[in-house]
Amino acid sequence: MNTPSSGSASPDVETAGAPPAAPSSDGSTIHDLGYRRYSGSRVGASGAWSALYVQSLRAMFGLGRPAKAKVIPALVMIVTMLPALAIITAASASNGQVPIKYGQQVGGQLFLFVLFLAAQSPEVLSRDQQHRLLPLLFTRDVTRTSYASARFLAIFTAMFIVALAPMLLLYVGQIGIAKDPAAAFRTMGDRAWPVLAQATLSAFALTGIGAALAAWTPRRAYATAAIFGTFLLLAAVSSGLDGLAGVGLRSAELLDPLRAMRTMALIFFGETNRGMELTPPPPIGVYVALTIGLGVAGLGVLLLRMRRLRT
Amino acid sequence: MNGGSVIETSVLTRRYGSVVALDALTVRIEPGITGLVGANGAGKSTLIKILLGLVEPSSGTARVLDHAIDGDRAAISRLVGYMPEHDCLPPEMSATEFVTWLARCSGFPPSSARERAAEVLRHVGLFEERYRPMGGYSTGMAQRVKLAQALVHDPALLILDEPTNGLDPAGRDDMLALIERTGREFGISVLVSSHLLGELERICDGVVLIDNGKLVRAERLGVLTGVTGTLLVEIDGDAAAFAASLTALGVRATFDHQVVAVTLPESPDDTAERMAYDAVRDVAVQQRSALLRMERRRGHLEDLFASAL
Repeated sequence: MNTPSSGSASPDVETAGAPPAAPSSDGSTIHDLGYRRYSGSRVGASGAWSALYVQSLRAMFGLGRPAKAKVIPALVMIVTMLPALAIITAASASNGQVPIKYGQQVGGQLFLFVLFLAAQSPEVLSRDQQHRLLPLLFTRDVTRTSYASARFLAIFTAMFIVALAPMLLLYVGQIGIAKDPAAAFRTMGDRAWPVLAQATLSAFALTGIGAALAAWTPRRAYATAAIFGTFLLLAAVSSGLDGLAGVGLRSAELLDPLRAMRTMALIFFGETNRGMELTPPPPIGVYVALTIGLGVAGLGVLLLRMRRLRT
Repeated sequence: MNGGSVIETSVLTRRYGSVVALDALTVRIEPGITGLVGANGAGKSTLIKILLGLVEPSSGTARVLDHAIDGDRAAISRLVGYMPEHDCLPPEMSATEFVTWLARCSGFPPSSARERAAEVLRHVGLFEERYRPMGGYSTGMAQRVKLAQALVHDPALLILDEPTNGLDPAGRDDMLALIERTGREFGISVLVSSHLLGELERICDGVVLIDNGKLVRAERLGVLTGVTGTLLVEIDGDAAAFAASLTALGVRATFDHQVVAVTLPESPDDTAERMAYDAVRDVAVQQRSALLRMERRRGHLEDLFASAL
């Protein structure tokens, strides 16, 4: 990236406005002809916040980083969207005989979202601690709170995009293959809100868990392991409780965010599975409260960590 | 620029559990380049972090460029540039990306941020290397990037924590020259910490010496390490006889090996001093001694603080 700076690209050319070049009689090899005072505009804290947000969002997808950093984001996007494409193709070939099941589809992909979260959220929250960047940020127009909020919102945005993409593909595809797309678009209105609600709530809950764990783990690799480990552990505890007599299937499920969000997706899209037919799930409000609770708790933990962190 | 002091602290104290890192430090730092000197663990970094708002003081107050540290943090962050002691460069980022991004975190619009980053990187002497990932930089280059990021938002005060750490002697000289030039030519006040007193005396206008979190001394150096009233004359010949002849002429002189130290008499005008110089010339002619070198002795910080350290 070359900088188109005001005609002073050559180090031999004295920058306009700079004081007369110093006599370099001390034999130093440093030629400073570029420095000058700045009198231009400053956009202040809001500019700093958006710089931080955009940088985090790009980092979540590995943009502006070496190819290696793009592997997981690209993989997750492809692997989650391909089945959606296949379903649309099948539905189209069978003239709409194959039903398009959003809930089942997105519910089965939650683990891939966790993969994305575990690989990428430490990129924006652990690395700054690993490389000790925070003192440089906190002595600028970035406060501990604005840092936490920009990072959190960037992870949330990325998770929302990842969670929304396959459902959006199904949605657009379903309209596209309809005999009368315009009519389908009007009748599909009641599908839109579950798509948005599922993407928003699952992204919020996942972000909360990922951000809280990544912020407390100053090493990237350990943070990734911690996030994976937490989901595995919760899944193990939850399925372990299933086996115990006396604990209802549905309350044990709430311990495992992935299972809970899968059920939430089914309820949102009016689908059921065998387990739900055996034991009816609690009302949707419970799942909404759970996901919002996880997101809020995670944000709280992140803010607390940032306030306490010694730099 | 700033009429009063750059930094003022008042009974500033910071405790970590039972350890007192900073003990009722009251000091006033004037504009210019000031050295903050003390052994490792003397409280230099703690003081710096308190001034920057990274650490809260346990008690006491401080003002930076006339802003209370617990008050207008936004104003202080705009006016102060900080170069930390530790590594802080993400290895996969290039210096250009890094410094540009930090300029934006200081509230610069994107285009100004890019321009400023290019300028400060050139100022610190980083040219083509600045497009390469910083993971491959030498310590000297890394230190320059750290200085560049501290300068990118055009601060009025630079706070540099051990900028010469890890550098070889040539690298140290370069870094010190760069700091001096930055301070002198652009009117930026500098607070530079080091555990090496000697290396700072060349570039500093003042020194603050702390030990165990307490202020030992704070001095302006202009007078103290400026020229003294002693003339050093290195001769080729009998130094003992040379000194004796001078003493006979009424000029106080001692000798050490081939160097004769002549005490220049003080007087309102410089007649007495010139007579002493004439005496040196006359004795040299009379004894047929070659004068190899003549210079006014400069005071050294180590002498100044010898008792304190």
